[in-house]
Amino acid sequence: MKLKFRFLMLCILVLMFDAGEISAETKGNVLLKKMEALMDVTSDIKANVVLTQQKTNQGIKKMEMIYYRRDADDSFLIVMTNPESEKGNGYLRAGDNFWMYRRNTRTFQHINRDESIGGSDAQGDDFEKRKLTEMYAITLDASGNEVISEEKLGSIDVIKLEIKAIVNDVDYPKKIYWVQKDTSLVLKEQSYSSSGTLMQTAYYRKYTMVDGKYVPVEQLFIDEFEKGNKTLVEISNISTKKLSNEIFTKPYLENLSK
Amino acid sequence: MKTLLMISARNLFRQKRRNILLGSAMAVGVTLLIIASSFANGISDVLFNKIVVFVAGHVSFSSNEGGSTSKIVFRDRERIEKIINENVPELESLDEAHGVFSRIIGNGVADNMMIIGIDAEKGLSPERQAEFEENFNIIEGEFEDILRTDVENPIIVPVEKAEYLNIKKGDIINARFVNIFGQNQSARFTVVGTMKNDNVFMQSILFVQYKNLKRLLGIKDNESGNYQITIKDPKKNAIIVTDRLHDILKPGPAFISGSIVKSAKTENVTALPFRNTEDAKKLISASFTLSEGKMDDVLKRDGAMVSDVLAKQLHIRVNDKVQISFKPKFSDNSALLPVTVKGIFKSDDVTGKNTVYVHDYLFYKYFNENIPDLVKDKGTAFIPADSASFKKALGDEWVLLPRTKTTDEYTNKVSSIVKLKTKATIIDVNSMYETASQVLQLEFVLNLITFVAVLVLFFIIFIGVVNTLRMTIRERTREIGTIRAIGMQKKDVRRIFVLETGMLAMMSSIAGTIFAFVIMGLLSVISFNTEGNALAILLVKKHLYFMPSAVSVISFMLLIIAVSMITAFFPARRAAKMSSADALRHYE
Repeated sequence: MKLKFRFLMLCILVLMFDAGEISAETKGNVLLKKMEALMDVTSDIKANVVLTQQKTNQGIKKMEMIYYRRDADDSFLIVMTNPESEKGNGYLRAGDNFWMYRRNTRTFQHINRDESIGGSDAQGDDFEKRKLTEMYAITLDASGNEVISEEKLGSIDVIKLEIKAIVNDVDYPKKIYWVQKDTSLVLKEQSYSSSGTLMQTAYYRKYTMVDGKYVPVEQLFIDEFEKGNKTLVEISNISTKKLSNEIFTKPYLENLSK
Repeated sequence: MKTLLMISARNLFRQKRRNILLGSAMAVGVTLLIIASSFANGISDVLFNKIVVFVAGHVSFSSNEGGSTSKIVFRDRERIEKIINENVPELESLDEAHGVFSRIIGNGVADNMMIIGIDAEKGLSPERQAEFEENFNIIEGEFEDILRTDVENPIIVPVEKAEYLNIKKGDIINARFVNIFGQNQSARFTVVGTMKNDNVFMQSILFVQYKNLKRLLGIKDNESGNYQITIKDPKKNAIIVTDRLHDILKPGPAFISGSIVKSAKTENVTALPFRNTEDAKKLISASFTLSEGKMDDVLKRDGAMVSDVLAKQLHIRVNDKVQISFKPKFSDNSALLPVTVKGIFKSDDVTGKNTVYVHDYLFYKYFNENIPDLVKDKGTAFIPADSASFKKALGDEWVLLPRTKTTDEYTNKVSSIVKLKTKATIIDVNSMYETASQVLQLEFVLNLITFVAVLVLFFIIFIGVVNTLRMTIRERTREIGTIRAIGMQKKDVRRIFVLETGMLAMMSSIAGTIFAFVIMGLLSVISFNTEGNALAILLVKKHLYFMPSAVSVISFMLLIIAVSMITAFFPARRAAKMSSADALRHYE
């Protein structure tokens, strides 16, 4: 199950922002800072997430889960609800501890922060809150100018900007964003490996507004390396009400899994 | 004695048919023992020196940062190689090893495989080269082709995978994997050869030049991956060498000696990491008094506290961002450790006046990537005394995992790494008895089965031999009476029979040994079709492999001679004790 979890945080945490205008004159670093400011989520969250994965010669696989996150300390809880083989399994991160729960054996196992979640591409540390400007900076061309331009994505006016990693511990060292000019919503994102190969393209197809924040509720991740693989992420029933501390405990996950 | 020998020899040749039958039985016993022992030695040799060496090394050194499965790196290659070379006189070869799990795309087909880096540039000894060629039968191209520079990332692919991926020599394959920083990496590889391996475990492994793999994984020249250590006489030395290395690798304190520039002033500082465990945090809380800031904030992942002296000199306040500049060991450019000050502590001679205490996660992130020269910097750094109450809360230059004796202990140790909650380099030293115990268990079981089967056969033959000897002596009771009547002493009678049996056993052993070597030679010629059979790993080039040793052959010969003589001794003694009159009256 190589599901495209990596941008789940982007969906749930990172891309909850106010729609604001970015003027045509906006420079790359200003835009990046603006994006970062918009990404600063300050509320707890609960949502239902469905991942539909299509792989070459392997048909379609659907995975459903409930996701809880406490903003105060980046704790999170994921409990799988479908398919039957995964139902009741879960992941809990509280403080520095990260556990995997298996319903069949009723056991918790300590796992590493870079361990895969549900056999997917997602890792524990993908769910950590990190600032975009601490990880990336606008790419400069040979003349020292920012790699940023205006173009059309279909019929929509967008700002295209290229960013590169300024630290090593990121998933992709280079990314290109297409940001809607009038709303500042990210519409498309391309991720490159350090050898410059396009690895993944993400389309943010649908947003919804929750408590004055925009949340991308439908995203499509296309595997550009292994053609034919794609994952659709759908988020629903989003709630930003404060979550009880009891949720982020082992007994709660055990009860939820029964 | 000479006369006794002559009489014994004459008796031996007088009863030709009986002695030929008896001697043949003994010879078959010797043959079986030698063949079984040589086969068992062959299995041990294959497993210890051909499989374990390639799978894990007799002794292995492994390291990773923070328990991460992708960050398999030790930042000071020179240092670790020096430690191993200087402290392992039993060393035969030291091989840097690294493998990465990859998604490989061929012509329209993809599969998961392991890419292993081999240091082909270093060159292999003729023996190792022969072993490698024996283990990895190159079908197309040459092993040295992975050193080619005229193509992009040369790679050797197993025939089975080449067929599955629909690729051939000269084709390009793409691979996706995660480098040591956790970044998604992709690379193109040129197939320069194919190999065929009877070992099913090795049929998903692709080989590239280690330097190329290191580059793609982001490992610098001064850094290394894991090591496989091949030593002389591994059965005897593996645990001794592992224990010795483990003792030597005990870590010293970690620190960064550098300077902070702020408010137009420069101060030399020492940054020290505090561990991320609950015990360590309690010790830090109890040992430090903050004059500004909150201890809870200091103890968080990005927490750091500076001394009041330093804060006063540089006008540092809580939430100020400061950068500690320091000189890395392997770079001419200065490196930075950026910290946000969360607390200012009251300093004294125990805590150090110009010190910054930094959370494990933040400290090692910068320490690992820009490893300082700790030996050189020790003179300028402040390192808290061992008597300091918080000393146990401070991190070391690496975390050394405890020694384990069994695979179960080893497995538990590895799975509990995540509980260490550190970003420091975690290193581990293991012998093949922990890491390759399944291979060694296989050796034990195969040896056991072989020996039990042979022992059963041997005892069936042996009982027959003993019974025949007894009957022979009984049949010759009247002969004993005669020689006793003409004046031969009791002890000489006993000796004649014992010597006669001894000579028969010796001749049978020699014949049995020759016979064993002939059979082993013939069995070695037979070729077995072992495709897809895991036990093929026990064969050498599809043939049975026997490894007779002079010691075991001589031991078995001596054993057979000794047992035969002991067996003959008791009936011979009984016969010798008989009065000549009784012996002459004996009738069957």
